[in-house]
Amino acid sequence: MRRAIKSHTPEGFIALDNSALIYPPTEAAFSTNTFRLSVDLGVEVNTEILRQAAHELLDRCPYAKVRLRTGFFWHYLSPNEAEIPIWEEGSYPAGRFDFKGNNHYLLKIIHGPRRIAIECFHALTDGSGALAYFKLLLARYCALASIGDGTFADGLCYTSRPEETEFSDPFQELYDRTIRPFPSVSRAYHRKGEGGRSEAVKVIRAQVAVGEIKRRAKARSLTIGEYLSAVYLMSLQELQAQEGKEGRRRRPIRLSVPVNLRRIFARETMRNFTLFVLVSIDPALGWYSFDEIAGQVRLQMAQAVEQKQLLSQIRRNVGGERSAALRFAPTILKNPLFKLLSDTLGDQQYSGVISNLGLVSFPAALSPLVEAMDFHLSPGLVNPVSIAVVGYHDSLAINFTSYEDYDTALERLFCTFLVEDGIAVSVASNRGV
Amino acid sequence: MAYCVQCGVKLAEGVPVCPLCNTPVVLPPTMVEQQSEPLFPKPLGQPKTGGVTKVRKGIIELTVSLAVVSILAVGLSLGLSGLGRYTFIPTFSIAMATTTLVVSLLSKPTYVRQATIALIGIGLLVIGIDLGDLSLSWSPIAAMALPVLWIVAVAPATAMKRQRILPLLIFAVLLYLLVINLTVSGELTWFWPVALPTVVVFILLAILLILFLTKRKGSIIPLADVVLATMVVLFGSISALDLFLTGYQRGFFALRWSTSLLWTALVVLLFLLAITCSRRLRRYFTSHVNHT
Repeated sequence: MRRAIKSHTPEGFIALDNSALIYPPTEAAFSTNTFRLSVDLGVEVNTEILRQAAHELLDRCPYAKVRLRTGFFWHYLSPNEAEIPIWEEGSYPAGRFDFKGNNHYLLKIIHGPRRIAIECFHALTDGSGALAYFKLLLARYCALASIGDGTFADGLCYTSRPEETEFSDPFQELYDRTIRPFPSVSRAYHRKGEGGRSEAVKVIRAQVAVGEIKRRAKARSLTIGEYLSAVYLMSLQELQAQEGKEGRRRRPIRLSVPVNLRRIFARETMRNFTLFVLVSIDPALGWYSFDEIAGQVRLQMAQAVEQKQLLSQIRRNVGGERSAALRFAPTILKNPLFKLLSDTLGDQQYSGVISNLGLVSFPAALSPLVEAMDFHLSPGLVNPVSIAVVGYHDSLAINFTSYEDYDTALERLFCTFLVEDGIAVSVASNRGV
Repeated sequence: MAYCVQCGVKLAEGVPVCPLCNTPVVLPPTMVEQQSEPLFPKPLGQPKTGGVTKVRKGIIELTVSLAVVSILAVGLSLGLSGLGRYTFIPTFSIAMATTTLVVSLLSKPTYVRQATIALIGIGLLVIGIDLGDLSLSWSPIAAMALPVLWIVAVAPATAMKRQRILPLLIFAVLLYLLVINLTVSGELTWFWPVALPTVVVFILLAILLILFLTKRKGSIIPLADVVLATMVVLFGSISALDLFLTGYQRGFFALRWSTSLLWTALVVLLFLLAITCSRRLRRYFTSHVNHT
């Protein structure tokens, strides 16, 4: 019996996944909802080969070959047959997405003299999804540039056909209306920087050795991600204390930590499948030592990534999407309401974001060429400094992206803490160049 | 490879200052560093500013969508109930209010800009409502008051020189009176015999009293003197109005209802002259006790 080979290519109307619904309406100045992944290679980048690699990436991943459209009730995606442009790298990363200039693609392919980068609008996918696209792009570039076999062990297979699960929305499958939705959270502490802000994303890149930071984290029974979250909380606590507010009037300091749900729920989607868990300390109860913060982070992270807690969050998020009031309100009313409420329901609940993509292992052919890898997250107006972390080889790149023109107090406290903890930190920046 | 002496971090080669704390990098005289590659290849331009933020964009979108819904609702309800001819004024008012609000939200939040936008919006609204029956009738009177209000309330906050504001105000007031006369009567009737001479008297009196207060001995002008001088100017001008109005209406010049005002102005003027000439008299009316 002949079996028909199925190639799951999305057609016509493609609904945004639950997590992506918030991003198109809230896109504005100081709220770009983008992020960037980049790799610095030891060789010059050939633009034509990169263009061909981008074509092959989109051929393999038709669910990325889409454009964003505004419907009567919701924003949605539809297939995009236009040519994907290749951009020369500019001065600032993770800026506002020029949809029209990018032929309406939500994925931007960028190259520098020796750098390949992708910038992604969050409605398309999350960090892990973008990393999968990026790995495939690099693999195709390696193959076309005759560098060697650049296929990542954990990457998408170019020769296989796209499966339905790759563009499914697992949030809808995991929604269970019978469980209690996640409770709402109070307003957190927000640092008011000094010296003005501008839309250009200023970057401070701190590079540390994975071995050193792993050793210091392990000494406190933490993972690297938890250790960095604890340092972030410690820095924010110091900044809050410097503001001189009476102890009991201090707001809780909370971090939003994106958690990749793919492993937890065993789903291999290429769309957004991340939830933000909150880890916090409450300075109104007194000063926290670093070890106390480390204990809190360890405990809260362990609790937050429990399936039941995550399902409760999914219940809240998808329940909102499915409520009749939201479903049948037209986009022209929903759009402004999302914009006005997104701070209250999102950004105001936490004092900062730290996103850790983990360690990226490069294939043998590509590994010697990779000089650096970076991950940049767009900051926001309520929390103007974001931290994005990615590991490669034996290094960890911690990128602070900020809208603050001059204020680097948070970055300084963070880096000096690492230095005082015995970790050598190398710093580079696009500030004041 | 240099280290920051304040933060202890290793710095990229060739950077003049630590990006974390701005501490200058001082190298030993014999040490020369190569310039490391910048994080981003292109030279940095001026940081981009402006653009509409999320909240402001949200308010604009909400305003526009509510306006669209309101216009549709009003238009449909009036149209379906057979009162379609009355649709213009409410829909135009909603559209103008929305436009004014959106333009003001898109503009810089400075007093001068916002007040100017609001006044232009009101002016266009008034003229538009009046033009609903395709003829201008009353709106020039209301609309012309707005430039006068702008000169009084907004111009002092601009970079305009103070000396230019007063002549501009006088010109605007005269123009306003002219427009009122033209709008009400269809031709210039009372403007030349009544309004213009009254304004001239007001200006002359004001100039005389300003000169009197500023050119006399002593550098300080007491507030009481300013109040009294203002009374003289106002009462004198009102008496002039009465005089010219009687001349225009009855054909002869006389005071009808403002005699008491003129006498009051004269008494106050005499009092001002007296306290200027006699320090003793001024002291009699001035308290020297500090009420702390």
